[in-house]
Order: sequence, then structure tokens, then C-alpha cells
Amino acid sequence: MAAPAAPGRHGAALAAHRRHAALRAARSAGIWGLLVLGTMLAAVLVPGFATATNLGNVVTQSAALGLVALGQTFVIAAGLIDLSVGQLLGLTVVLTCALSDGRGELLLPVALGVLALGAVVGSLHAWLVNKLAIEPLILTFGSLSILQGAIFSYTDRSVGRAPEALRWIANERLLGWPVAGALLVLTALGAHLLLRRTRFGLRLLATGDDGESARRAGVPVARIRWGAFVLSALGAVAGGLLVAGRLGTGYPNAGQGFELDAIVAAVLGGTSLAGGRASIVGTIGAVLLLGVIANVLNLLEVSAFVQTLAKGAIVVAAIIATRAPRSQVRPGAAHAPVADA
Amino acid sequence: MRNHPSRRTFVGGSLAFAFGGSSLLAPLAAHAQVDRAAQKKQMAEPVDTAKFKKAGPYTIGVAAGYMSNSWVVFCLQHVRWEASLHKDVKDVIVTDAAFNPGKQVADIEDLIAKNVSMIIYWPVDEKAIQPALEKAIAKGIPTINAGGGFTYSPGTTSNAFIDQYVLGEMVAQHFMTDLGGKGKVFAMLPIAGTTAAVDQLAALKDVLKKHPGVELLSAEHGDWNRAKAKQISENLLQRYPKIDGVYSPAGQMSMGVVEAFEEAGRAKSLVMSPGDEYNGWMKWVVKNKKGGAVTFPTRAGQEATKLGLKILAGQPVPRGLVIPSQYIAPAEAAKYAEMDKPDDWWASNLPAGFKPKA
Amino acid sequence: MASRLATQALRELVSRWAILGALALLYLAAAILSPDAFLEPAYVGNVLRQAAPVAIAAIGTTLVMILGGVDLSIGAIISLSAVFCAVQMGGDAANVGPALAATLLLAAGLGAVNGMLNIASPGSSFILTLGSALAFYGLTQLYSGGTARGIVAPGFREFFNQRLGDVLPVLALAMLLIAAAMELVLRTTRFGRQIYLIGSNREAARLAGLPVGGVTFACYVISGLFAGLGGIAVLARSGVSSTFTGRGFEFDALAAIVLGGTVFSGGRGTIVGTVAGTLVLFIAFNLVNILGFNYNLQLVLKGAIIILASAAYAWLGRER
Repeated sequence: MAAPAAPGRHGAALAAHRRHAALRAARSAGIWGLLVLGTMLAAVLVPGFATATNLGNVVTQSAALGLVALGQTFVIAAGLIDLSVGQLLGLTVVLTCALSDGRGELLLPVALGVLALGAVVGSLHAWLVNKLAIEPLILTFGSLSILQGAIFSYTDRSVGRAPEALRWIANERLLGWPVAGALLVLTALGAHLLLRRTRFGLRLLATGDDGESARRAGVPVARIRWGAFVLSALGAVAGGLLVAGRLGTGYPNAGQGFELDAIVAAVLGGTSLAGGRASIVGTIGAVLLLGVIANVLNLLEVSAFVQTLAKGAIVVAAIIATRAPRSQVRPGAAHAPVADA
Repeated sequence: MRNHPSRRTFVGGSLAFAFGGSSLLAPLAAHAQVDRAAQKKQMAEPVDTAKFKKAGPYTIGVAAGYMSNSWVVFCLQHVRWEASLHKDVKDVIVTDAAFNPGKQVADIEDLIAKNVSMIIYWPVDEKAIQPALEKAIAKGIPTINAGGGFTYSPGTTSNAFIDQYVLGEMVAQHFMTDLGGKGKVFAMLPIAGTTAAVDQLAALKDVLKKHPGVELLSAEHGDWNRAKAKQISENLLQRYPKIDGVYSPAGQMSMGVVEAFEEAGRAKSLVMSPGDEYNGWMKWVVKNKKGGAVTFPTRAGQEATKLGLKILAGQPVPRGLVIPSQYIAPAEAAKYAEMDKPDDWWASNLPAGFKPKA
Repeated sequence: MASRLATQALRELVSRWAILGALALLYLAAAILSPDAFLEPAYVGNVLRQAAPVAIAAIGTTLVMILGGVDLSIGAIISLSAVFCAVQMGGDAANVGPALAATLLLAAGLGAVNGMLNIASPGSSFILTLGSALAFYGLTQLYSGGTARGIVAPGFREFFNQRLGDVLPVLALAMLLIAAAMELVLRTTRFGRQIYLIGSNREAARLAGLPVGGVTFACYVISGLFAGLGGIAVLARSGVSSTFTGRGFEFDALAAIVLGGTVFSGGRGTIVGTVAGTLVLFIAFNLVNILGFNYNLQLVLKGAIIILASAAYAWLGRER
């Protein structure tokens, strides 16, 4: 029995919303600012960086992660999380190569098939969260394990071959532009419009912000969560198709680590783990920034050990530096009271 | 409360998928057998080095599939050592893919961007990096596979490798001798799907054909992980009341195996196959006077570097250079074991300045 | 109304101790399916010893989770601790004491880093400890140079692997003692009560004057410290053969903690539950292995157990 909001409260809520929007813009500007600054510095200081080949490489190398991170952005924005995307990506790689085995005419049916499989996995996640109130973090950690076990029970070594067309999309350039990069940009554009300009997107953000209030306001929270999980899975599958093209073969462990990198990218880009705040532009910027950093560290011949240390330090520094004044909660807190400090 | 049949079906379904899927494993294993005669011909093929010939100074690029195991660390040190002996090599650049094949592809692309003169590599997954390696060759950069597997493919110029089948065969034959030709045994193999695992098991099975008195109870994968090998052995000891011997060419895993037997009180009569020259295993052989070793030389890195430099000089090289393994009897193990060095260490001729930190 | 309260109380009771029931049932099933193994005390001692490193590390992290956070860096701390300890020992029995002390100091220090980060940015523990995990792994690699340096002191491993009464390995006993001690701390000390209160409602606790920052810091230090103990336990159980010894431990610990009844939102959980959860996982793994199934089925089973257990807990806690 909620009392109607007093005008003062409404005004305060509006101001808060504007503040959050400004903060979000600042954060995603921050990531792009870092990206542009970093790229310019690298162009000057790092020999071999500022060539068309190398820059194109960075984009091609980042495209798969970009697609996964886009999906993850939606699911985190909804106040959930999906740790299973890495293994789902691996499963996609194995199935795509094993089922098509290099035959171009099978590419489309196989691609549609794995996308459908992704939709099923996402739907299962949503059903379990909606009906049984399982914490998304622990649920998707469980499904990650199941998927990984299933992949390795099916094969312990690379299987099959990716069709030529898929390899072309994942690796080649058209008029100098990496095709995978163009694909990422188009998908990001679609994702941005979906998040900001459709009713679904606005409802998704509302659900992530405060599930209970959204439900009381009439938002079909269960359906929104379904959409979020399906989008996350589709992002993983799309990324998997690119990785299949990139590797050319169905390597079972291809997805290892993608889930954590995707989460890191989303959060660095301004998406809050507590839900309700997201930036597609920020996610893409963060993905590219991570790619540039890895590339620069390689070109500078920084020891791989130091690279790991640096990546960790960068993540931590970025979180501390861009922390929002409003409290954040651990991910998947859709069912927990958002009252913690 | 109400039943949730869908939940049970979900779990049951995935279990069924997994169970059903594992039965598909058998046909996959079958096609892993390689035609040895054809492979020998491929190894001897000469490489057309004319297109790679260039003058120094040279930069050596090493695209490591992983650096998180002591064998590859020693292998890399051999690369650095050999590089230091040549005045015209000015730099060694190393990238580490940390078991991520996508990253190894990116690493190779980055090394090409840095204009290295040659790329030495050990793969996470051989097939996954072939397209990237072919790009290197297209740019006139020869690629050399260093380590445990022969790759015959346009992306690999040459191989400096240890023949896992020959190694497995040597281990199995000494094992049969030590067993006296009869008994029940199990096999402890590396990561499933790797050349090492596939070839070692194939060699064992071929040798077993000539020794019908020996029964292979199970082939397990300890993934070069001492703790995992120990856990698997503990469970096998439970399942099988009588185990006479263990085929384990990787000394690192042999250590886990013997510990399980020792703790179960069943080590006295245990016959261990030779392992490799992993220091921890060598120490055990010295103490227990059994087992022995068939070496898996880390100087593969050195040979790979030499191959690469020959190619850059336009000299003739074969597609495959085998680095021979040698058998070390238990009585001679003391010459190779370094008791004051860590277990995770390999006997080698590396000079002091190039040895890893102890 | 009264019966509804009674049902609720009953549900809470069941929810809290359900894992013990599950453990008993699983053990029973295992004993039926493989009596040669699970009815043999020495084998059960083995399983306890296998579970010890994960259980010990998970004990410390349980505190962080009752507080409402997570610690994903314990795998990295375990790896660094194991290698560091071996190097400090340098194969000399006289070094054991100083080596253990130095290792625990290092581990607690890493936990302190986590603590400070989490005070600086509260509520972001998931991504912060992800980042610190990467950094600590990098440190491990740098320190070790890629090989597992160090030589364990003679007698160290033998001490922990020996069996008391031919059955219970010392390492397993150590785990049980540590668990009992921490459970006592949680239940009887003011510190323990503060953890539960802050975990239940951080804002209210802060307003009531509880030292939220201090307790948070202490919990992360303890989590790091126990991860250090876990690294020493790994060293004792199987020696050091890699610089990534602890990889994956953080997720096994997470699974065990959740199985044991600790919830992500904080405010609830027990050490007994965590240890029981660990044992459930390891009995299940070994059962799969002993019955001769594909090793990878362990992964499927782990995932299924986690999901089923979470669903069960969620169902039990429903009408709150």
C-alpha cells in the first residue's frame, strides 16, 4: 500500500536521476577520454602501434569480447549477472566447428541453431531466477560448471573446422576496415537504441534500479529478466561465432575467462553492478581500452607476468577512481533490499 | 509443496547430454592414430629456406602458449642462452598466451607487427593458430614449433621436437622389463587431447600388444598436475585391490602417484615406469632406487633457435628435427638429480647465468 | 498466526542445518554405492584431507560473505602463499617456524589490501577482489619466475599427512579444529555478533554506532590469513608443483559456502555449514571418480549440486 509520492520527493527523485545521468555520462566520457588519451600516447611512444595493420588488429582482437560484454551490460543493468557466458561461448565454438566442419552451406543453419540454443539457455536461467528465486550469481556459476563439464565430456580436443565465410568475417578487412569491427559497431548501435529508446530498455533499467518498485509500478519484471538473460546468452553466442572464425577450429576451452573480462568491461564502462545504470558506449570504450592496453604491453615487450599484475591494478584503480557516491551492492541483488551503505 | 518437474528435467537433461556426449568420445579417439611411416617421410622433407634468407641483426620472437610450467620456463631459458651465443641476435621478445588460444593468435599478430625475424612457439592449440602463423610466413618470418609434437602444415616452417611416440615406447618397453611381463597396470597421462597424451597412450597400447600378460586397468588424465594425479590414484587404489604398476612418463605426475601408493601402504611392490628428468621425480628415484627416467629434454628451445638461425641464413633444414630422449637407469639417477634444487626443476646444461631462479 | 510463525521458525531451523542433513544423506548414498571406499576409515580420512585446503580457505571467506561481500582473490593468495612458504623453508627443517610466520603475515597483508580497497569503495567487492586476484597472480608469477620455487622442509609434509590412529590425517584434524574455533568466535564473541549485525543491515549498524569499517577490514584480513593457511595446507598435502596451485579455489570455496547456507545478501551463515558444504562437494567428486565416470562429469555434478542447493534454500526461505 504505497502512498502517492509527494511532489517534493518527486522533485528530489528527478534531481537524483539527472545527477546519475550526468555521472554516467562522465564515466563513459571518462573511459573514452582514457581511450583517446591512451591511443594518442601510444601512437607517439610505442613504435609499431599507430599502423593501420596494428590498429585494425586491436579492433579485430576485441570484437568477440565486445559482443559478449554488450550482452553482459544488459543483464547487469537489470540487476542480475551471468557468469556462464564464457562456457556458452566455448560451447558455441565447439558446436559451430563440429557441426559445420568447414562446409559453407551449413553456416547459416548452424549459426541459427546455436543462437536458438543460447536463447534456450538464457530462458532457463530466467525461469530459475523468476520461479525459484535463486541468486543469479550462484545460478550462473552452477550452469557455468555444467556447461564446462558437458563440453569436455563431448570432446577433449579441437574438433571440426569453421566455414570459410565465418573465418572471413572474423579476420578480414573490407576497404581497410575490419569486418568484425563493423559488426561490433552495428550491434552496439542496436544495443544502444534498445536500451535507451525502447520501452523494454527503460523498463529494464527500472527493474535493475529497484525491482520491487518497478513491479509495483506495473513493469512485467519476470519478462524483463527473461529478456536480459536471453540477450546475455545471445551476446555470448555471437561472440562465440566470431571466436570460431578467429580460431578456425573448435577448441573446447576457448571461452575461458570471457565472463570475467566482459564484467570488467561493463563495469569500467559505467554499468553499475547494483543494476539500473548502464552505458553501451562505455562498454565499447572499455573493451577497446582493454584491447589497446594488452596490445601496447605486448609491443613494449612487457613481461607477461607484469601484464597480469598491471591488468589487476588497472581494474582496481579504475573502480576506486570512478566510484559513484550512491551505494552499490554485490551483483545479482535483484532480490535483496537495496539499503546497504 | 508443488513438484517442479521442469527443474528435474533441466538437470536430468544436462546430465543425459553429458552422459550421451561422452559416448561420442570413442570415435574421436580413433582418428588420433597417426600413420608413423608417412610422418617419418614428412619429417625428413627439406624446407625451402631461400625465401626466408635475410641478413642480421635478428630479433627472435617467442609466442609461448603458456609460461606456467617449469618445462617451458627451462625451454625458454635455452632459447635465451642460444641467442646470447650469436652476435647477430639483438633481442628476444616473449609473449605469453596463458592457455588462451585467442590470445596466442593476437600475440603472433603483435610479434609480426614488431617485425621479428623468426617466431618460435609452443601452441595452446595447434590448429587454432595456423592462420596467424601463415600470416607470419607470408611476411617472410619463419615459424618453428618447439617442444612435444610434430606439425606438418603450411603455417609451421620447421619443428624441433621430442617424439612423444618414441618416448612413450621407450618408457613402455623398460616398464615391461621391470614388470617381468605380467601384472595389472594403469596409465597416468597428460592433458587429454594433447599430442603427448595421445601418442603416449598409443605407444603403450602398441607395446602391450606384445605382452599379453599385462592388463591395462584404466587410462587417466592427470593434466601434468601432481595433486590431481594423487587424487586420481587414491581413487584407483580404492577401485582396484591389485595394482602392480603404473605407466607414467611425466615425472611430475609420477610424484603424485607414488605418494598415493605410499600413503595407502601399497608402494613396496609397486613398479613405476620411467618418468622424465623432472627434478622432484629424480630425487625420488635416487631415494627409492627404482623407476628411472626417459628424458624430455628442455634443450628443445636451443635446437629450435639453431634451426631458426639456419633458416634465416638460407641453409638447408628438415621439416622435423627430433631431439632424442635418453634412458636413465635408477642407478645413474644420482648424476642427474639436484638434491638442493626445488622439485619443480629440470636437469640441463644451462650455464649459471641462464638458470631460472631457484 | 501462531502456527505460521512456528512454520517460519521451523523453516529457518531446517534451512540453517539442512546442509548437515544433505551431507548425511550423501554419505549414506556413497556408502551404499561404494562401500569398499566410503566405509573404510582410511579412505574417508583421505577425502577429509583432500577437502582440507578448500575448507580452511572457505572458513575465512565465510566471514566476508556473512558481512555481505565476497572475496574472489583467495585462489591467488593460496598460490602465492604456497610458493612463498616453500621458498622460505628452503629445504631446512629449522626454517619451518619462521617460514610459516612469514607466510601468514604476507597473506594477512594481502587481505589487508583487500580490506582497504573495500573500505574505499564499499559494495564493489566482487569486481575489486577480481582485480586484486589478477594483481596477486601477477605477483606470484613475478616472484616465482614461472617455476614453483622452493623446497619443502623435510618432515613438514610427513607430519601433516601422517594419520592419527591410522585413520585421521593430521591435516584433516587441523581443519576440524580451526573450524570449531572459528565457529566459537562467530557465536560467542562480540566481534562475531557484529559481523552478523552489519551483514543483516549495514546502514542500521552504522547508525547504531558499530565500527563497520573496522569490522570489514578485519574480515578481509581474516579471509586473506585463512587463504594463507589454505596455501600451507596445499603445500602439506601435495607439495608445490605449479605457480597456479590455488586457481579455481575461490569458486569451489564460494560453492561450499553457499551450499552451507550462507547467503549473498549477508547476515546469515555458519562455519559448520561451510565445512559441511565442502565435504558434500568432495564426497560427490570422489564418488563420481570412484564409480568410474568421466572426470569431467564432476563439473556437471558440481554445477547441478549448486543449483539444486540454491533452489532448495530459496524455497525454504521463501515466505520471509
